[in-house]
Amino acid sequence: MRRERRSFLLLAGGFAVSMGVAWPASAGERLVITGSSTIAPLVTEMAKRYEKIHPGVRIDVQTGGSHRGLNDARRGLAEIGMVSRALKEDEHDVTSFVLAYDGVTMIVHQDSQIEELTKEQIVGIYTGRIQNWSQVGGPDKDIVVINKAEGRSTLESFVEYFGIKTKDIKADVVVGDNEQGIKAIAGSPYSIGYVSIGNGEYDVGKGVPIKLLPLEGIPANRQTVAAQQFPIVRPLNLVVANNKEPSARVADFIAFATSDDVRDIVESFYYVSPQPGQSEHGS
Amino acid sequence: MSTLTSAANPSRGLRWDAWAIVLWIGAGLIMAAFLWVLLDLLGRGLGQISWSFITEAPENAGRAGGIGPILVSTLLILMVCLAIAVPLAVGVAVFLSELLPHRSRLRRIVQISLDALAAVPSVVFGLFGNAFFCIQLGLGFSILSGGLTLACMVLPLLIRTTESSIRAVPQRYRLAATALGMTRSRVILRLVVPLAVPGIVVGTLLALGRAMAETVALVFTSGYVDRMPGSLLDSGRSLSIHVFDLAMNVPGGDANAYGAGVVLIFALLVINGAVLCLAKTWKARSGMAITAAT
Repeated sequence: MRRERRSFLLLAGGFAVSMGVAWPASAGERLVITGSSTIAPLVTEMAKRYEKIHPGVRIDVQTGGSHRGLNDARRGLAEIGMVSRALKEDEHDVTSFVLAYDGVTMIVHQDSQIEELTKEQIVGIYTGRIQNWSQVGGPDKDIVVINKAEGRSTLESFVEYFGIKTKDIKADVVVGDNEQGIKAIAGSPYSIGYVSIGNGEYDVGKGVPIKLLPLEGIPANRQTVAAQQFPIVRPLNLVVANNKEPSARVADFIAFATSDDVRDIVESFYYVSPQPGQSEHGS
Repeated sequence: MSTLTSAANPSRGLRWDAWAIVLWIGAGLIMAAFLWVLLDLLGRGLGQISWSFITEAPENAGRAGGIGPILVSTLLILMVCLAIAVPLAVGVAVFLSELLPHRSRLRRIVQISLDALAAVPSVVFGLFGNAFFCIQLGLGFSILSGGLTLACMVLPLLIRTTESSIRAVPQRYRLAATALGMTRSRVILRLVVPLAVPGIVVGTLLALGRAMAETVALVFTSGYVDRMPGSLLDSGRSLSIHVFDLAMNVPGGDANAYGAGVVLIFALLVINGAVLCLAKTWKARSGMAITAAT
């Protein structure tokens, strides 16, 4: 019995000590950045570099989608939000800063006979009017339509360009992140989807069996995105609320994240830096 | 029973053999599915595993470097979850099965709400945890918020398994103990709960599995930060979130996603083993306590 009590005390003591050790919150300046899961890995890397230059500053990056980034910035839950699309006209209560540009284009399986689709054909496929590849010059196979989940910025860029309503889209598969979309299409030869050009180009380079389709005759690659020629280009933004003056630290981090000092990070994620200059990934 | 008759009757025995083959095939298919997943994971992920992969911090969004801080965060989240959930679950289960009368209305209400809670999708727990622990209680994105949210999530499961194993303790044990003059609290602490330990362990293992695999509830509560946590109030990324992010969100993260997946499976096996071991020693000790008391 005594032994039992001792072991209990030991356990309780151990727990108390571990809580005590774990409890004190780390001191120092802290920035919270929330929002788009597309941008989060990019900003995480920028934040790590910034923390190295400015010891004592901690930057916590959290995900949850562009919508969340906007809301958290507005409500003051985060100092900076991440939004992977252009701000809408009624969103003038926040200010945006472009970190990088990303194109969105249609992708099909590598073995597909389709080389290009017109805007009308794509609208037809996504609204269910065209159901078979033979209707657009392909084999007699049903089209597997892959769409993005509601709230995703790629979806918003897509519907905005093609002028379709989200509720009119008849999708067979709904995916979340870019890589998930690419995996879905690589695994299904008669499917069609849309994806970030940077992600797509990277995976094509790695031998993933997908094909990026041109839009309006403009090839889908980072050069046409950088030149702002490609029809669907979305900015990856940091946003801050206008209702209060951003702190010096916030302003300094934004200046850093939009500068040429982080070009290599932007390019390591296959996005296009907003800074003019030679891209090291030129083909 | 049927084996006895089958031994006496050869034609029955034949049918039994046919059934046995079907059952073997069924069991074999399940094993094959598990092995396929495991071998695929090991084949692609084992090459990534090294001491530095397990201890170092992730670099380049996880495409390089290791998973050290993520492993630490995951273990801390699990510790918080179990430290809160197990004692609470045992307490509630004892209350429900030992202290409330068998046909109590309160018991039925609690059980129905537990069953309803068990069916709630984890994203709802995530949103609740975010609204309550992170914002209302001001814990922010933290390991503490994540662990507490997971505790809420696994509580129904833990309470239900504990309760049913307490109920399985034969009534005559309680009667005998009371006849020997043991007080009610003593009967519960020294007899009923120790005898229910196997059930509690099974519940804990199931809860651990669920907690370890959880992704979406933790995105909203413990967060995405892949730094080494300095305290329970720091945000920390769990292994499952890391695997998901690398596989789905970071171009070129596949190799390390498989590596982290392998670590996730091994961690689960090690923790399961540790819990079983702990329960065994604890049961042996409290068993001795019973013999000493009687």
